[in-house]
Amino acid sequence: MSTNSTLHITATLDNLATIRRFVTDTAADLGVNQTMISRLELAVDEVATNIICHGYREQSGTIEIELSRQGETLAIYVRDQAPSFDPTAVSPPDLTQSLHTREPGGLGIYITKQVMDTVTHRLLPQGGNELILVKQRIFSGTSLRDEDVAT
Amino acid sequence: MDSKLQISVSHETGRVPITVFHLKGDLDASSYKQLETQAREAYQTGARALLLDLHELRYMSSAGLQALHIIFTMLRSAEASPESNQAMKQGLRDGTFHSAYIKLFRPTPAVLDVLKTAGFDMYLEIHSDFKEAVASF
Repeated sequence: MSTNSTLHITATLDNLATIRRFVTDTAADLGVNQTMISRLELAVDEVATNIICHGYREQSGTIEIELSRQGETLAIYVRDQAPSFDPTAVSPPDLTQSLHTREPGGLGIYITKQVMDTVTHRLLPQGGNELILVKQRIFSGTSLRDEDVAT
Repeated sequence: MDSKLQISVSHETGRVPITVFHLKGDLDASSYKQLETQAREAYQTGARALLLDLHELRYMSSAGLQALHIIFTMLRSAEASPESNQAMKQGLRDGTFHSAYIKLFRPTPAVLDVLKTAGFDMYLEIHSDFKEAVASF
C-alpha cells in the first residue's frame, strides 16, 4: 500500500471540491477514521483557499498536495509558487469579541491549527511556499474504510 | 454525490413568518457568496426570520461561517439597539444567548464540528426538531 499520494492541480476555487475529494479518498485509503477524514478535508480546504484567494489572489497558479503516512503520523504538504507568505504568523481573530462587533472572516488558519497538531511554513528553495500539516496517532489500526467493514 | 451548493426556499408560519433555506452539497469559498446573496435578497423582500436547514449540507468551511456571520449581523441590524446589545453580552457571558433571527436545523456532524470550533454555536441556536425550530422564533 502506497504511503504517499500527490495531487497537482490548478489553483482555482472551482477545484476546491476536487482537492477535498483527493484528501478524503487518500486519507481513507491510508486508514484514517471518518471523523478525522472530515477534519483533514477541512484543514486542507482552508489552506488551499488561502493560497487561491490571498497567495495567488485568484491569478493563475498551481497547488501541490501530498499526503504522507510516516508510521502513526500523517503529514500533509501543501505547496504553491505564490509570493512568499507565512499564514501561520498572522494573528487570529479575537474570538472573545462578540460576533456583531468583529469583522467576518479570517478563521481559515485558526481552524487549521485547531484541527492539526502542528502547522509549519517554509519557503521553497525554488520559490513559493510549503505548509506542513501534521497529525499524530490518527490511524485506526486498520486500512479498511467504514463501509468495507462487514456487518 | 454532487458537491455543488443548492439552496431551495420554503416558508413556514410560527409566531412570525419564517423563511427556510434548505442547503444541500458543500458550502465553501466557491459557493458562500451564493448563500449570502440569497439571504440579502430575502432580507430585501422582507424576510426577518431565517431558518437554515443543514441536514443535507455535507460540508462547510470557514467561508460558510463568514456567510453566516454576515447574515447574522444583517438580520440583527433591523432590531439592534443599545439594550439588545447589552442583553446579548449578558447572554453570551452566562450562556443563555439565543439568536432570535437566524437559527440552524440539524447540522451534519462535520458541519457542527466547524460551528463549534469557531464558537458559532454560542450565537446560533441549533435545533434537531423542525417543528421546534419553527416554534422557537
